[in-house]
Amino acid sequence: MAGARAIWSGSISFGLVNIPVKMHTAVREDRINFHMLHDQDKVRLQRKMVCPEDGKDVHPEHTVKGYEIAKGQYVIVQQAELQGCAPEKTRSIEITDFVELSQIDPIYFDRAYYLTPAEHAAKPYRLLLEAMKRSGRVGIARIVMHDKEYLAALRTLGDGNGGDVLCLSTMHFGNEIVPLDQLGDLPTATVGEKELKAADQLIQSLLTDFDPAKYHDEYKGCVMSLIEKKANGEQIVIEQATHPRTAGKAPDLMAALQASLAKAKAASGVKSNGHARNGHSVTAGANGQGHPHGRRKKSA
Amino acid sequence: MDLRVGRQLLQISNPDKVLYPRDNFTKSNVIEYYTAVAETILPYLRDRPLTLKRYPDGVEKPFFYEKHCPDHRPGFVQTVNVLSERNEGGISYCVVRDAATLIWVANLASLELHVLLFRSTKPDRPTMMVFDLDPGAPANVLDCARVALDFRDLLKHFALESFVKTSGSKGLHIVVPLNTAVTFDQTKPLAHAMALLMEKADPKSVTTNMKRELRGGKVFIDWSQNDQHKTTVCAYSLRGTARPSVSTPITWAELSKALRANNADGFVFSPSDVVKRIQKKGDLLEPLLQLKQKLPRGAMV
Repeated sequence: MAGARAIWSGSISFGLVNIPVKMHTAVREDRINFHMLHDQDKVRLQRKMVCPEDGKDVHPEHTVKGYEIAKGQYVIVQQAELQGCAPEKTRSIEITDFVELSQIDPIYFDRAYYLTPAEHAAKPYRLLLEAMKRSGRVGIARIVMHDKEYLAALRTLGDGNGGDVLCLSTMHFGNEIVPLDQLGDLPTATVGEKELKAADQLIQSLLTDFDPAKYHDEYKGCVMSLIEKKANGEQIVIEQATHPRTAGKAPDLMAALQASLAKAKAASGVKSNGHARNGHSVTAGANGQGHPHGRRKKSA
Repeated sequence: MDLRVGRQLLQISNPDKVLYPRDNFTKSNVIEYYTAVAETILPYLRDRPLTLKRYPDGVEKPFFYEKHCPDHRPGFVQTVNVLSERNEGGISYCVVRDAATLIWVANLASLELHVLLFRSTKPDRPTMMVFDLDPGAPANVLDCARVALDFRDLLKHFALESFVKTSGSKGLHIVVPLNTAVTFDQTKPLAHAMALLMEKADPKSVTTNMKRELRGGKVFIDWSQNDQHKTTVCAYSLRGTARPSVSTPITWAELSKALRANNADGFVFSPSDVVKRIQKKGDLLEPLLQLKQKLPRGAMV
């Protein structure tokens, strides 16, 4: 994580203490990303907003936000009006409570970030970290990032090498969790003690320690090896370039310019010492012309 | 605070907010500066997609670039849509066409104004070439000035007149007016070739390599800004430096003089310096807007 770029900076506020911190991504999703191409010419496709009434493209500038209050009825909300509701940009991670981690069901956790101390904040950061380790509690905080307010859990995390770091997980608000009663009536059944024992035995036989290195995305592995095979010799589709590539031209061009420069110098008999530390002129008569202020010059 | 600019009434938020703490330079001061230079800077902003570089809490706090013209813009602010491969539907940039828009932008604490090299009507046609001469310590602006003079002479060889402005930060910008029918496909490789030629002629002082560790003691010529997607800080724009400074056009004579006097401070201009300079000398960069120059033959690959 050392050297990973901070994606946000702010400070943890904890009572009267303020600890400036930097936030880093803790989870990088490792997914296969496909792009959509046109099957005819293999050009990468773009998404567009289209008005279904006349089939015409709609420029983003001509879009407004509408909240559907009833089928087909919208309340239009302007960006400026939304800003009135935007949380105050406090840039703070405000710890309000400390709770037991076991009291938070994993369903509440969303995204994880690492927090590292900002410059000159090593000491208060360490202090909070050690105190939290000692208490064994998890801080519950409110955090404002990019105009949005989040609930978050702040906990300490060891890297297994003696280093510790604060880890922040954004959390869902309570009302975002779908209550179980919305699943409808769950069918009930009775199980016998014998069956339960047998199931328990099965569980016991699979008991182990959690080791994330043991599990891999096998689907991804399969697709990636397919892609590799295709890239190594089989079909790769190359997008038709709309602009001629300009890279790589410069060295040739430089040689051409240099040749023309040499020719001009040979013709005028001027020595090429112009780039010496104190030399200002490459050509005779090029100096001291000042500005052709307001003058228009058409070059040959 | 309300401010009337032309026909528009603008609301200035937090006019007393200090944006440059070292000089106690407030947002009001920023707005005063841009008001004073409005007439001079507008021709360089007009019709060009603008990227905002905003310092909401001043130059000592984080800044951010904003390409999309903010949605909360007032009705008089014009925008232009620039198609981009990376953004579906393109990006709607602000376009500063009048003083009111300029002041509205300044009120967003967009201290720095960065423009694309083309006019929005012709997105594939750069109206100029730019070279950013950036000194890698211990090289400084005086080394940039030396390289700039050589570069000017090289360009002259190819019948290209060039102009120079301070970056407002550590280096210098050389600008080559074109205003002719050229495309980025032509200017980018040419700019690269010119920079390579400079490097080849004086490899001890010049590098075209972007890697910081290879730039020590040398002047890095950044040619890569000659790209449809790249912006360059506009002449007369403030910079988000510790002290308020301006990307200021200077004459080659002034540059030579400061170089002879070994005077690095001769390349530093505060907002009030610039206002005075404009009163005294007018707009030194004016030819950039009009001067038509063709690319050297043989560069049309």
